[in-house]
Amino acid sequence: MIYNVYLVGVGGQGVLTIGELIAETALLDKIPVNYYPTEGMAQRGGLVKAQIRIGQEFVGPHIPEKNADLIVAMEVSEALRTTQFIKPGSDFLLWGHIWLPTASLLGKQGYPGLDTVKEKIAQAGAKLLYLDPANLPTYQGSAIPDNLYVLGAAVRNTSLGKILNVETMGKAIENRWPKAAEKNLYAFQCGFEMASD
Amino acid sequence: MAEQIVNGNEALALGALKAGVRVVTGYPGTPSTRALASLLAMNPENVHVEWSTNEKVAFEIATGASWAGLRALCTMKMSGLNVAYDSLISVAHSGIVGGLVVYVADDVGANAGMAEQDSRGFAALADLPMLEPASVKETYQLVQTAFQISEEIGSPVFIRLVTAVANSKNVMNIPPAEPPPLKPPLLIKDIQKYTKAGSAICLAQHQDLLNRLEKARHIFDEMQLNPLHLSPRSGKVGIIASGITRAYLGEAIDFLENLGLQKEDLSILEIIASNPLPLDQIQQVLNHTQSVVVFEELDPLVEREVYIQAQRCGFKGNIFGKLNGLFSKVGAYELIHFIKGLAAVCEIEVTEEVLRGFHSEELAAPRPITVCAGCPHRGTYMAINQAIRKLRLRKEEVMVTGDIGCTILGMNPPFNTIWNEISMGASIALAQGFVHAGVKTPVIATMGDSTFFHAGIPGLVNAVQHQVPLTLIIMDNGWTAMTGMQANPGTDANFQNGEGKSVDIAQIIPSLSIEHFFTIDPYNLEASTATIQNALTLPGVKVILARRECAIQAQRREGRPGNITVNADLCNLCKLCITITGCPAISITNGKLEIDTELCSRCGLCAEVCNFDAIQLEMPG
Ligand SMILES: Cc1ncc(C[n+]2csc(CCOP(=O)(O)OP(=O)(O)O)c2C)c(N)n1
Ligand code: SF4
Ligand code: SF4
Repeated sequence: MIYNVYLVGVGGQGVLTIGELIAETALLDKIPVNYYPTEGMAQRGGLVKAQIRIGQEFVGPHIPEKNADLIVAMEVSEALRTTQFIKPGSDFLLWGHIWLPTASLLGKQGYPGLDTVKEKIAQAGAKLLYLDPANLPTYQGSAIPDNLYVLGAAVRNTSLGKILNVETMGKAIENRWPKAAEKNLYAFQCGFEMASD
Repeated sequence: MAEQIVNGNEALALGALKAGVRVVTGYPGTPSTRALASLLAMNPENVHVEWSTNEKVAFEIATGASWAGLRALCTMKMSGLNVAYDSLISVAHSGIVGGLVVYVADDVGANAGMAEQDSRGFAALADLPMLEPASVKETYQLVQTAFQISEEIGSPVFIRLVTAVANSKNVMNIPPAEPPPLKPPLLIKDIQKYTKAGSAICLAQHQDLLNRLEKARHIFDEMQLNPLHLSPRSGKVGIIASGITRAYLGEAIDFLENLGLQKEDLSILEIIASNPLPLDQIQQVLNHTQSVVVFEELDPLVEREVYIQAQRCGFKGNIFGKLNGLFSKVGAYELIHFIKGLAAVCEIEVTEEVLRGFHSEELAAPRPITVCAGCPHRGTYMAINQAIRKLRLRKEEVMVTGDIGCTILGMNPPFNTIWNEISMGASIALAQGFVHAGVKTPVIATMGDSTFFHAGIPGLVNAVQHQVPLTLIIMDNGWTAMTGMQANPGTDANFQNGEGKSVDIAQIIPSLSIEHFFTIDPYNLEASTATIQNALTLPGVKVILARRECAIQAQRREGRPGNITVNADLCNLCKLCITITGCPAISITNGKLEIDTELCSRCGLCAEVCNFDAIQLEMPG
C-alpha cells in the first residue's frame, strides 16, 4: 500500500517545510518514503509543489491522477492545479490564503473565487477541509507559522494521522528547530487542536 | 552513522566519495547542481571540488586528473553536455586512465524551462557506457559501479539521472567514506593515445573505443546488471522498461491485475545500462513472447533497437511504444502510460476516464515568475525600458536579446523587455545577426556575469573584431544566481573556494579595445537610464556593466537594513509602483498600498517611480 500526499502552494509559504517534516517523521518511524519537491526557480512567488509517497521502497516519484490520499493546498487558486490528483473520497485540506499574482492585483486578469475552488474540489470527489486564515492564532503577539498550523490540522483531521505518529512529528519539529521549538510546536499544536468546521 | 534523508544528487556525491573520487568539477545546472554543491559543503579531505567556468572546462580538468591516474567526476545538466561534447568525443576516442564518470541530469518534463533533451543519444553517439539509476538508493550504488567499469574498460562512463530521481529524497544509511589515499600522479607520454595526429592514430583509436564498449557489454552481462525475468510459459507478453520507468511497473501491474492481467504471463527486461544495450536479453524476450511493450521517456532509443533485434531473430509479433503511436516523445511518464501500455499489449480494456482525474487547472490564475523583491535586474529592465522611451522609440522596434539565468525574467510582465533566449552566451552573437540583417534601431544584448564568463566572451570578441554596432548590458550580480547562487569567476574573492581569486569584468572589457564602457548601479534608476540612453546613441560596440549584488545573497549576509514606509496620505493609489516594478513585496490590502517589510529589500526602485513621494526609504549611514 502506498499513501500519497500532494502539496501545493506558492514559493515562500513554507510548503516544502511541510513536506520535509512529513518525510522526516516517516524516517524517524522507519517507514519508507519518497519525497519529490519541485521548487520551480529561486524566485519567490512561483508555484511550488511536492509529492510524497509513503510505504513502499521502490516507487515512481510522480503521484498518479486520482491517487492522492491527501492534498494540502496552501493557496486558493493553486489548489485548482491539483484536483485531478485526489482519490475520490479522500481529504483535501485547503488553507484559504489568497496570494494575488500581480496581474490580478492590477485587475488585468481574474482570480478564481473561493466558492468556485470549493466547488471544483467537491466535483473532484474530495472531502474538503477548509481552514480560514482569519482564525490563525498568535504567539507572543505575532501570527504563528501557518504551515505548521496546517500540518497540525492535517494530522488531526485527515487520514495522515493514521499513517504518521503525531508524537514523532513533534520530535521532527524539535529536531528541525532546536532553538525555536516552542513557537513551532505551539503552532503545530494549535492546528492539531483547532475545531474543524 | 545514523540514517539520513538524501536526494539523488547527494547520493551520487556520496557514492563518488565512497568510490574514492579525487577531483570533482562541474558547472551548475538544474537539476544536477546539488551533487557538486553538496560536496563543496562537505569539503572532503584529499578531494578537489570546484565550480568551473563552463562544462567544457570542467570536463577537460576531470580528464587531466584521470589521465594522471586519479578518479574524477564531472557534473552538468543536459545543456552542459552539449557544451562539453567536443572534448568528450575526443577523450572517448583516446580513453582514460583513472575512472572518469560524467554525471548528466536530464530535465525530463522541462521543469526548469530549457530544451527537453535526451542525453542517452549522446552516449550512443560517443560509444560510451551509460548507467541509469531509477532511485536514490540505486544512484549511490551505480555511481560506484560506473567508476569501476570506467577503469576496467578504460573509457569515460556516463551516469544519467532524470529530474524526478535527482530531486527525490529517500532515507539512506550511508557510512562516512574514508578519505582517498594520495597516490602520486602518473605522467604517461603516449602520442598514439593522447593525440589525434594522423589518420592511422585516429582510426586505431576509433576501433579501440568500440572494443571498450564491447568489453562493457560483456561485463554488464556477467554482472547481470539488467535484470531479466522470463515467464514460465512462452508465447505471452514482454515488457522492456528503461531507466526511471522501471519504478512504475509494480504499481501498473497491481492496478491491472484487478482487471484480469495475468502476472505470470509477463516477461520483464529492466534496462539499467542504456548503452551498450543488452542485445542478448532483448532477443531472449523477443524469442519468448508474442508481443512486446517498450517503456522509456523521450526518444525511442531502446525501442529502435528492439525493432532491429526483432528483424534479426524473426520476431513477428507487435511492438508497442512510441513508434506505433501509443506514446509521445514529449514529457515525463506517469502511471497512466504504463497502464495504457500494459493494457494494449495484454489486450485489456481500460477507459481513459478510470485513470483521469477531474482537471480544473485551467481556472487557476496564471502566475508568471518574476525577479525577487529587491533584485538588481529589476532596475536594469526598468532603465532599458525608460531609455527606449526617452529616445522616442517603441519597445516593439528595439531588439533586446536575452540570455540564460535570472536575467531572462525580463521577458515577463511587467517589463516585457527581453525578446528571446537560446543558450548560455548566445545573446551577444544573436544580436550581431540582427545588426547584419539591417536593423537600424539600436540592438541590445543582455546577459549575466556567469554567462559572460561561461560563453559570452567569444561573442563579444567577435563583435569587437567586426565592429558591430550594438550595446551589451552585463547584469553582474556577483553570483550564478538562478541555479542557487554558486560562485563564478567574478564572485568576490572572499567567497571563492580556498585560495581562489576574483576576475573583474571591469578590467576585462577595456582590455578588449572597447571604447565605450560604462558602469551603472541598477538601484539608481535615473542615472542608469541616462547612461543606457547615451550608449544607445553612440557608434560601435558599447558595454554597460550593471553592477549590484543579487538581493538574496546580500540579505543572507546583511539582513534588511533601513526602513521603508508608505505614506497613505500622499499615496493616491495610482498603483504605478506595482505596474512598473512588479515587485512582489508591494500589495494592496484593505484598499491601502502595503509593503511587506519582511520581503522588501530596500532597493528603493518603487520610491523612485512614485510621483507623489508616498514611499519613503531610509537607509542607515
Ligand atoms: C550550458 C548550460 N549550463 C548550465 C545551465 C544552467 N543555468 C541556467 S541559469 C544559470 C545561471 C546563469 O547565471 P548568470 O549569468 O550569472 O545570471 P543570474 O542567474 O545570476 O542572473 C545557469 C548556470 C544552462 N542553462 N545551460
Ligand atoms: S535570485 Fe538574485 S538575481 Fe535572481 S531574481 Fe532573485 S535577487 Fe535577482
Ligand atoms: S524598495 Fe520597493 S521595489 Fe524595492 S524591494 Fe522594497 S518594495 Fe520592492
